Amino acid sequence: MKRLVTSLALAASLTAFSATGVLAADAGGPSSDDLLKSATNTEAVLTYGMGPQAQRFSPLTDLNADTVKKLVPVWSFSFGGEKQRGQEAQPIIYDGTIYVTGSYSRLYAVDARTGHKKWEYNHRLPDGIMPCCDVVNRGAAIYKDKIYFATLDARLVALNRETGKVVWNKKLQDYKEGYSNTAAPLIIDGKIITGNSGGEFGVIGMVEARDAETGELVWQRPTIEGNVGTLNGKESTVTGKTNASWPGDMYKTGGGATWLGGTYDPETKTLFFGTGNPAPWNSHLRPGDNLYTSSTLAINPDNGEIKWHYQTTPHDGWDFDGVNEFVSFDLKKDGKVVKAGGKADRNGFFYVIDRTNGKLINASPFVTKITWAKGIDIETGRPIYIDDNRPGAPATADAHDAKGKSVFAAPAFLGAKNWMPMAYNPQTELFYVPANEWGMDIWNEPITYKKGAAYLGAGFTIKPLYDDYIGALRAVDPKTGKIVWEYKNPAPLWGGVLTTAGNLVFTGTPEGYLKAFDAKSGQEVWKFQTGSGVVGSPVTWKMDGEQYVAVVSGWGGAVPLWGGDVAKLVKDINQGGSLWVFKLPKA
Amino acid sequence: MRNVLLLCRIGLSGAMLVIATPAFAAGSPSDPLNSVMWDMLREQYFAGAPVVFDNAVKVTAPAAAEDTRAVPISVDATALGRVVEMVAIADLNPFPLVLRYHPGTAAPYIATRIKIQQATAVRGAARTDDGVWHVSGVLVDAAGGGCSAPPTSYAQKDWADHVGEVQARLWPADPDGAARLRLRIRHPNDTGLVDGIPAYFVETLQIDAQTPGGSPVLARIDSLEPVSENPVYSLDLRPPPDATALVLHGRDNQGGEIRATIPMPPRGAKPAMSPGPSAQPWSVGQ
Repeated sequence: MKRLVTSLALAASLTAFSATGVLAADAGGPSSDDLLKSATNTEAVLTYGMGPQAQRFSPLTDLNADTVKKLVPVWSFSFGGEKQRGQEAQPIIYDGTIYVTGSYSRLYAVDARTGHKKWEYNHRLPDGIMPCCDVVNRGAAIYKDKIYFATLDARLVALNRETGKVVWNKKLQDYKEGYSNTAAPLIIDGKIITGNSGGEFGVIGMVEARDAETGELVWQRPTIEGNVGTLNGKESTVTGKTNASWPGDMYKTGGGATWLGGTYDPETKTLFFGTGNPAPWNSHLRPGDNLYTSSTLAINPDNGEIKWHYQTTPHDGWDFDGVNEFVSFDLKKDGKVVKAGGKADRNGFFYVIDRTNGKLINASPFVTKITWAKGIDIETGRPIYIDDNRPGAPATADAHDAKGKSVFAAPAFLGAKNWMPMAYNPQTELFYVPANEWGMDIWNEPITYKKGAAYLGAGFTIKPLYDDYIGALRAVDPKTGKIVWEYKNPAPLWGGVLTTAGNLVFTGTPEGYLKAFDAKSGQEVWKFQTGSGVVGSPVTWKMDGEQYVAVVSGWGGAVPLWGGDVAKLVKDINQGGSLWVFKLPKA
Repeated sequence: MRNVLLLCRIGLSGAMLVIATPAFAAGSPSDPLNSVMWDMLREQYFAGAPVVFDNAVKVTAPAAAEDTRAVPISVDATALGRVVEMVAIADLNPFPLVLRYHPGTAAPYIATRIKIQQATAVRGAARTDDGVWHVSGVLVDAAGGGCSAPPTSYAQKDWADHVGEVQARLWPADPDGAARLRLRIRHPNDTGLVDGIPAYFVETLQIDAQTPGGSPVLARIDSLEPVSENPVYSLDLRPPPDATALVLHGRDNQGGEIRATIPMPPRGAKPAMSPGPSAQPWSVGQ
């Protein structure tokens, strides 16, 4: 009897181990190398950005300016339920399955050929989550046998991509302090790398790498100077130099959230993460550059050390958040090829930066009106401020109306370009930037920090600049900074862009259309009404010899919540939540 | 409430459609509880295995459920001797299977609280070494709603602050060597049948002994949706004599981890009161 009992206990322990995923099963799936080469893989969409550099460029040519008129819907998949809020995801496509995230931290696996749902994971969210700008999610990450996504309660969930069963679920930050997470994770060399949201609540921006197999933390890099990073469970180095650009203790609640995630350049082995606005918004409380807020950070993926930084808006006083994606590309200029990167900043300037050292090559406006700076000094890389356009300091007395001088500033804090990712086409050598033309009245108010409460110290209201349009899809030449063509859209653009070797540019509109344009001329060549606003990022791939396009539809995001006068213009757009798939049928 | 009920009924008829095909198993003894679900459930949970109705398995539950979201049940198969696996089933629930218990070295006894959807047969089954399932059960009368009514914690803003917290007590072993362990885990245990509330429930629990020589597994539970909110389990374990503590580790279906170290009972403590089922005035006889 005793012998029997022992062997039974052993059997039980073995079963338990495999059930909890302690034994790492190698069930195939995309490898690290597959992810690094994903930009040229036309049979799959393995990474957010359609390649680690996030050019959102497909080499496919079946669809082109001539054939695109034959592009037809194949099926549409509803996200279901009553949770029809902003759908900002980019689908991931692998082995005949589409993995797509929905609002309220939901993840779906759908058969790419039929639209049949394979499984759905619905994250149980606490009541106290505090996402600033709608309950969105921007996409999942795939690696080996798992699919990953981040949730609104600031957790990272790894699921078996075949079954949808949770393998692990790790807390990234404490949602009660204002943290949340909406960006797609990035996976490099077996490490899953994430940023954080919560820039409106005085949190500290952070970039973190975890072991993609186990979820265990490898390194952390705070984005605000004076805060200490970690590596393999031990303190590593201080970010920057304490108090070099922050007064007193303010660096401890300095903001700089990395809420949009990052990109990676395999050639220079560098991560690029944009950092958010400093906290509070009222800049008079924090004299100095406030490093490294409103910047791009170049980070070593092995240990989290900062290689270089470029700050687009030093001493930001307008919420010109610097999170926008840094897209690596080869700048061909004067017979030379420069390893460069492009960034269309919220502050209205398009920056071309040497990605090996962070030195500015060129900066030019990509919107019609910029009131806060005359331009960017190419030598120093710093803005030439228009001091009058900085919102005034609030009165110090306990006056009933303590707000400071209000100014009309453009762009508005929602940015000349917000989160929606641009695309770069190496054939036309143009960037395609989803821009918006708006300004704001902005003023400062007294503020003190309280954990988990909004830490703004500013009031604001957004106004359109023109009667006939707000959104403008613009083709920007990085060599000259010139705008080659533009498409004007009545409502603000809030969706990502895709470009292809077939001389096409795709993007969605809040009015509900997925549209295609001739990449060289900007002429609109195709459109399809999806039934709700399109604020997600389209992708394309080839399956069974035919070229497909997929995009999510579902109006929402920050505009209806924060858009002031603009919110009024878009209030009649109906909500939704669906995935649309199109194809160019074989002749 | 009307909507909620309707939702559950849809779930149930859907389940019937899916499983309606298998033929009646030849030679299957007829169900003493006369449940319309029996043939289907037999096929689903005991497929291919010999099944006998056996009153040696004692199932206790109230004759009428006072709170359909937390109906106490127990399954006691100690009369069978060596048992490898036990299951509890509520026939007319949208998810009939309540849990699977792998008693390991423990006595084949488990008690918990379950949600029930409507008046139903509640069954316990125990698989002996020879592969035979011994099944018995009782009828529980109830008004509908247990599976699809939102748990009370839905109204509490702070469920997320306490999820995964464990209360546990271990009593000294009785003369038969079985030590009662009672566990309570804070968890919404949502079924996913309520609109807008995702399935979120405790899935696996394992109890190990901490000894100088290692951590042998004592027992394991695969718990499912029908177990009530803030699940409670009572088990009769046989910790090795040199155990210094018991360790509970488990997970919910969303990867939430459950961990607790349960101290051995203090010196001089008395074994738990564990009257046999026949001594319990509220139990329903076989």
